Amino acid sequence: MEWVLNEEQEMLKTMARDFIAKECQRAHIRAMLDDEVGYSPVLWKKIAELGWLGLTLPETYGGAGMSFRDLAVLCEEMGRALLPAPFISTVVFGGMLINAYGTEEQKKEWLPKIINGEVIVSPALLEEDGDLWPGGINMRAIARDGEFSLTGTKLFVTDARAATHFVVAARTEKTDNPEDGITLFLVDAKEWGIFIKSLGSMDLLRKQYEVEVTRVAVPVSNIIGGVNKGWPILKQIATVAAAVLSAEMVGGMEWVLDTTVAYTKDRIAFGVPIGSFQAIKHQCADMKTALEYSRSLMEWAAEAIKDNDPDAPLAVSMAKAYCGDSYRFMTNRGVQIHGGIGFTWDHDMHLYFKRARSSDTAFGDANYHRELLAKHFDKHMGGSTVRGRGAMMMM
Amino acid sequence: MAEEPMKLVAFRKEVRAWLRANLPRGWGTPEFKIPESMTLERHQLGMWWVKKCYDAGYTGFGYPKEYGGVERPVEERAIIREEMARTGTPGGPYSLGLLLAAPTILRAGQEWQKKRFIPRILSGEESWCEGFSEPNAGSDLANVQTTAVKDGDEWVVNGQKVWSSNSRYADFGVLLVKTDLQAPRHRNLSYFLFDCKVKGFDRRPLRQMSGESEFGEMFFDNMRVPDKNMVGELNRGWYVAMTTLGAERGGGGAAAAAATEGGRRTVGAGTLDLVELAKNTKRYGKTAWEDSHFRQQIMQIAIESEAMRYSGVRNIARLRALRQPPGNEVSISKNFSAEMRQRRGELSMDIIGAYSQMMRGSPLAIDDGDWVYASLRAKGATIEMGTSEVNRNIIAERILGLPR
Repeated sequence: MEWVLNEEQEMLKTMARDFIAKECQRAHIRAMLDDEVGYSPVLWKKIAELGWLGLTLPETYGGAGMSFRDLAVLCEEMGRALLPAPFISTVVFGGMLINAYGTEEQKKEWLPKIINGEVIVSPALLEEDGDLWPGGINMRAIARDGEFSLTGTKLFVTDARAATHFVVAARTEKTDNPEDGITLFLVDAKEWGIFIKSLGSMDLLRKQYEVEVTRVAVPVSNIIGGVNKGWPILKQIATVAAAVLSAEMVGGMEWVLDTTVAYTKDRIAFGVPIGSFQAIKHQCADMKTALEYSRSLMEWAAEAIKDNDPDAPLAVSMAKAYCGDSYRFMTNRGVQIHGGIGFTWDHDMHLYFKRARSSDTAFGDANYHRELLAKHFDKHMGGSTVRGRGAMMMM
Repeated sequence: MAEEPMKLVAFRKEVRAWLRANLPRGWGTPEFKIPESMTLERHQLGMWWVKKCYDAGYTGFGYPKEYGGVERPVEERAIIREEMARTGTPGGPYSLGLLLAAPTILRAGQEWQKKRFIPRILSGEESWCEGFSEPNAGSDLANVQTTAVKDGDEWVVNGQKVWSSNSRYADFGVLLVKTDLQAPRHRNLSYFLFDCKVKGFDRRPLRQMSGESEFGEMFFDNMRVPDKNMVGELNRGWYVAMTTLGAERGGGGAAAAAATEGGRRTVGAGTLDLVELAKNTKRYGKTAWEDSHFRQQIMQIAIESEAMRYSGVRNIARLRALRQPPGNEVSISKNFSAEMRQRRGELSMDIIGAYSQMMRGSPLAIDDGDWVYASLRAKGATIEMGTSEVNRNIIAERILGLPR
C-alpha cells in the first residue's frame, strides 16, 4: 500500500490541474449550468486525446494500463473543479465494467470506442424507489427471438443526454430472491422507444433524467456478464463507482476548504479579518479534520481496489460513508462561513453544496454503506480487528 | 493490510507471541483486575511493563544509542504499537517520562542531563511527573504563578501545580516556573528538572469525575533545585515547553491512536466490543444491534477508528518522505481521537440505557462498570494535553494560517 503519490501520480495530478484550469474555466462551468446535455463534445475529445478515458484499461485495447489509484488522483482533480463531463459514468460503467465482465468480442468492440471518446455510457439503474437494491429493479426484459425486449422507466439517470449507450439493469426473471433474475444490458441510446426527460434535479453540473424505455429490442450480444447474473456484478461495479466518487468528493472538499480559508483571511468585519474570530477558526479546523480523515479512507479504498484486496468493499463503504457525510458537512460550513455571498447563485459554493448531495446519494448513501458494514460485522464477528474477508472482483 | 510484506507479517507474529508470553497472567480476561489508578501496585505494574518492553527492544525508539536509544524500522514500531493497542498494556499512565521528559531533555537539555536521565526513562527505572498546569494556568499555560528565585547556585521554588499526571509515585518531575517577575509573558518562565525526594516538595492525589486519581496536586514550599537542572536558557522555558507539548499530544493522539483507557480497552478493538455489547443488550424486547439507530452509530465508530488508523499510517509515510518530524498536525489526530473516544463512550451508555448509571462495584454493573468508567474517563480526553479548543486554534492558525 502506497501512502505518498509516486512521481507519475504527481505528474498526472499537475497535468490534470493545469489542463482543467485552462480548458474548464468558470465561464464554461457557468454555461454548463443551463446546458441541457451537460458536457462539451470539444472538451470530451481533448480528454480522450489525453488518454484519460482508458486510463486503467489494458494497452491491448488502446488503454493506458495505469492503476486504479492513478484514476483516483485524476478524479480528485475533476471533483475539485466540478468538471462537467460524463467521465465517471463512461469510465466505470463503460470501460471498467466491460473490461471486467465483458466477453472478448465485447471488449474488442466497445473498449476502443470508449477510449477514443466515441461511445459515452450512462448507468440507468435506479427506478421509482430511488434506492440501489435488487428489489428496486423492476424494468421488464422479455426474451424474444434471440433478443430481449425491455420496457420500464429508469430514474435519477445521470448524463442521459450525453450518452450514446445506457447500461441498463433489467429483470429477466421473476424469482423469490430479488437478487436473482437481474441482467445488465448495453442499450443503444438512439433506439426508438427510448424517451429521455429532464428531471429538474439539484446538481446542475450532473443533471439527472428519466429514461423511459418502451419495447426496446436488445441483442443477446449486448448482455454484459450473462443472463440473470446482473446483481453481483452491479454490486461490485457500484463499489468501484463509490470509490471513484469518494476521490471526486475529496477533491471537492479540498476546494471548499481552500476557498473558505482564503475568504476568512480576506473578509473584514468589525475591522479585522473574520478568520481571526475563534467561532470561524474552529469551524475551519473541523473542516480540515473532516478532510484529513476523508482523504485517508479514500486513499485506503483506492489502494485496496488497486491491489485487489479482499477488504476492498469494506474500505470503499467506509470511505463512501465518511466522504459523503464530510462533503455535506464541509459545504454546509462553507456556505455559512461565506455569509451572504455564500448564499448567492453567483458564488460557486452552492455548486459544491449541491454536488455533495448528489454524490452522497449516488451508489448508496452513508446510511446504506454503514448498513453494509453492519452486515459484514454480523457475519465476521470474533476477529480481533475491524477487517475481515469480503469478495472483490479484479479491476 | 492484506499485502503486508512477509517480513512484517512474521514480525507481527513475533510481537503477538511475545505479548502472549509476557503480559501478566490472565491479562485481558475478566479474571485480571488491574489495580486502581494511583495505587503503588498500579505504578509498579506500569514500570515493570516499561522495563520488560525495553529489554525486548519494543520501546526506546528515536533516541541516540549513547542515551540508551533502540533502533528499529518505523514499520516495525507501528506494528508494535498496533499490537499493544490491540491487547492493551499495563503501561499507559507511566509513559509521561517517555512522552514528555525524555523528548524535552533530548531536544533542549544539557549533555549531563541527557546522559543521566534519558537512559533510565527509556528503561523504566525512573518515573516522571509533569509540573505545568496550575489552578490559574490551564489552557492559558503562560499564566504560571509558581516562582523560582535564585539563591547561589540553586533556585528556591514556591507555589502549586495541579493536574500533574503521575505525580504520586514519580521519582522526578519537569517544572515550568516564573523566574522573572518583570519580564513580559512567555519570556518570564524557566524549565527545570526536579527530584521528588527533596525537602519542600509535597503531593496529594486529585480525584477526578470517574472516581479515580490519575493526577495529583503538587506543592512547593521553598523547594531547592540546582541551577544545573535548568533545561534551555533562563527565561526561555516557555519555548522549551511548547516544542515538546506537541510530542505529548502526538503520543495522546496519532501515535497512541488506540490509547488505552485505563489499560483496559483500545479504541480500534473497541468496535467489536461495541457490536458485542449491542448484541447482548436487550432494549424494549429486541437487541440493541437490531435497532438501526445503534447499528449505524456503531458502524460510524468503526469507520472513524479505521480512518484514524489510516491517517496515522499515511502521516508516518508522508513525514518520512519529507524527512520531517511530526508537526502541528498532531492537533488534528489528538482532537479526533479524544472526541471519538467520547462519542464511543456516550454511545455505549446509550446502548445499555438504565444500566449506564451502575458504577463499578454495583451488583447491576455491566462488565464490571468498564463502559461507564471508560465513558466518564473520556470526558478528560478533550481537556488534557491541550483542550479541544486550544487544538482547534492550533489547527486554524498554524496549519491553515488564519490570523491570530
